[in-house]
Amino acid sequence: MRGRRRETRTNEGLILNSLVDIALSLVIGFMVSMPFFFENGIFVSAPSTARAAADQAGSTVTANIYITNDGRVMLNESQIDEHDLLELIPRLLNRTIDRRVYISNDDSVAYSAVIRIMDLVKRADSTASLAWLRTRRRQQ
Amino acid sequence: MKSAPNVDILPMACIGLILVLIMMRIAPMTITHTRREVSVPVAQTAQREVQNDISIALTRTDSLFFNDQPVENLDQVSNLVAEAVTRDPYVLVVIRADKDCLGSRVLEILAAAKHAGAQRIVCATKRPKQRG
Repeated sequence: MRGRRRETRTNEGLILNSLVDIALSLVIGFMVSMPFFFENGIFVSAPSTARAAADQAGSTVTANIYITNDGRVMLNESQIDEHDLLELIPRLLNRTIDRRVYISNDDSVAYSAVIRIMDLVKRADSTASLAWLRTRRRQQ
Repeated sequence: MKSAPNVDILPMACIGLILVLIMMRIAPMTITHTRREVSVPVAQTAQREVQNDISIALTRTDSLFFNDQPVENLDQVSNLVAEAVTRDPYVLVVIRADKDCLGSRVLEILAAAKHAGAQRIVCATKRPKQRG
């Protein structure tokens, strides 16, 4: 009888393996999904800053993107497909001093369309600085 | 021989999961000022880190909010940004505009923030959902 009692006591205790597994899965799930809950952002220069920079002497090569109401994208007055920006922007910025891309748009252009272009510019060259202008800026 | 006690951890796991879900929902709201529901545009580039910043929200119905508090017009926004800039000149101004808003309207907010002295302005975006 005594021996049997001792055996029972040694078998008692919680099995924590499955608990640890679940806790670990929860933590991993939490870590993986958190970035999707937070918002990110694109740094944008305000109009007055952009105007001041435009007046400075420097390279005559600039990157001016204009978005029209009907969705066309003009890069330095030439109509392009927006996905061509990925290829054209790095080439253009290599020839500029301030590495700044000036974006302007017609009055009725949706905000999401402007952000899409900014996103493409940033994907093309992450070092590019963005200036969002009120008025259309043309190649000087 | 007695078998080891069978502890049912399923209810505890369920509670843990619910707590994690609640935490996931609340954490971004408490760290940033995103209590106001705004559907920000999607962008793949992410530059902004979570920090103590100020938020200007523009909803689809053209309502303005400064740190989740409703404001009447851009002048009021400008004054509030100016106050924040006085306290911290390098404060990050986050513009959370709905993707369906007009770009020109967002640009007005951007100009107002700049006019108030903001040096660092960010347009809030959301990462696209990854496809399998």
